[in-house]
Amino acid sequence: MAKIIVITSGKGGVGKTTTSAAFASGLALRGYRTVVIDFDVGLRNLDLIMGCERRVVYDLINVIQGEAKLQQALIKDKRCENLYVLPTSQTRDKDALTTAGVTAVMDELRKEFDYIVCDSPAGIESGALMALYHADEAIVVTNPEVSSVRDSDRILGILAARSRRAEQGEEPVKEHLLLTRYSPKRVEDGEMLSLEDVKELLRTPLLGVIPESEVILQASNQGIPAIHMENSDVAEAYKDVVARFLGEERPLRFIQPVKVGFFKRLFGG
Amino acid sequence: MANPRSPGTESSAPLRVSGGVFTLSILHLESNNPQQLAQRIAEEHQRHPAAADFHRHAPVVLDLSAIPEEAPLALSAILEVLRAANWFPVGLRNAAPGHQALAQDLHLPILRGQDRNAAPQPETPPPTQPVPASPGGLIIDHPIRGGQRSYARGGDLVCLAAVNAGAEIMADGNIHVYGPLRGRALAGVNGQDTARIFCVSLEAELVSVAGLYRTLEPGYPLWGKAAQIYSRDEQLHITALNL
Repeated sequence: MAKIIVITSGKGGVGKTTTSAAFASGLALRGYRTVVIDFDVGLRNLDLIMGCERRVVYDLINVIQGEAKLQQALIKDKRCENLYVLPTSQTRDKDALTTAGVTAVMDELRKEFDYIVCDSPAGIESGALMALYHADEAIVVTNPEVSSVRDSDRILGILAARSRRAEQGEEPVKEHLLLTRYSPKRVEDGEMLSLEDVKELLRTPLLGVIPESEVILQASNQGIPAIHMENSDVAEAYKDVVARFLGEERPLRFIQPVKVGFFKRLFGG
Repeated sequence: MANPRSPGTESSAPLRVSGGVFTLSILHLESNNPQQLAQRIAEEHQRHPAAADFHRHAPVVLDLSAIPEEAPLALSAILEVLRAANWFPVGLRNAAPGHQALAQDLHLPILRGQDRNAAPQPETPPPTQPVPASPGGLIIDHPIRGGQRSYARGGDLVCLAAVNAGAEIMADGNIHVYGPLRGRALAGVNGQDTARIFCVSLEAELVSVAGLYRTLEPGYPLWGKAAQIYSRDEQLHITALNL
């Protein structure tokens, strides 16, 4: 039976789409048949991050409205054998998502895939509610700053109250915390909340920490999911996240400031 | 149409009733003689003209604790004196039973105050007898997140996890929080002023007992400490819990 995972946060710009792309790619690299769905109707981004924007013909909304078959809208990823992207519409708005339509799409995808990754829009309105409604597990993406933490707290509350599992009285959605854009140096300088602060405030099991990195920007501009950026901290950190999600033990990395050597400091990098 | 809610097209929306806490001036009545009251007000206003301005159109509650139960009370004459002095009497408190009936005839509410014949109570420590266990009640074993509200109707609310910033917990009875209390906690919301709030780490945005409330900020002396919040003599008290 397929597992549905929502990548959500409440706040915008924290790294949901980056995480959706990297996480879905990571699952596919492990051999799982995976689909990643963009729920941000009207602000289509996932296809850009995945580098498939020129291959979008039909989208989620077309499928929901019966204008296309699901197979026509699914785009096969060019890097991973087992990964498909279901893009959203750039021209419609979020009201085009209907509960019945989304449920029908989910039911069909469940038959075909091992993992369904839902990239949620920011906010707590209908688009975000649709993205989290069917979730079995949730990855809450949080930046180490107070407003992001507060919004994550809010979305955790909504997950506990408004998901299908909550409504039908099933076992609650399994929650994971993913801390992104983490800069150990700035934590040390007291400019950022520390990992411990965020864990203490949200009290949700930690899935991983993704360091702040220029690589993310390079990756998204080139349309390459960050997990494919060889020899980067970010790719390693996302691989750890996928491994932990699949139940493997991995120690946390990239949470200590990098010690710059004396000569490097003297002569520059 | 000028008035969309003319009687013919009456809306079926339910009546909106909500609670509120107001600060009112209390006038302690010294005698039951209306002339004497008028004279005292005139004297006072002559001595302090600013006071006359300050009191103009001010809602005022009459405290009758100095008026003996058996004394006759010309309540309507007293109200006339107050209105002539530009005050708006809005209620009575500490009225003897006979005087309360007078107020009802004049459609003047009796406001809840300290008990008429209560002996002054010691300031600390708080009473040790427990608040009676309540039949209703709610036990929550997961964190209460920002934006969530929980209400224990007719009983106590016990939270075994954190109450996060932006969350609101309410109970007709007591509130116990065994994680950090960072949101708002309102005990005794239906007016039970013996209700209390107990928490192991006080970091609340707001605490309230039976309508008395206060906000808290990180500089507060008991911040992050185990504390209880209760109401006494219409004041909110916050004391450390020595666990």
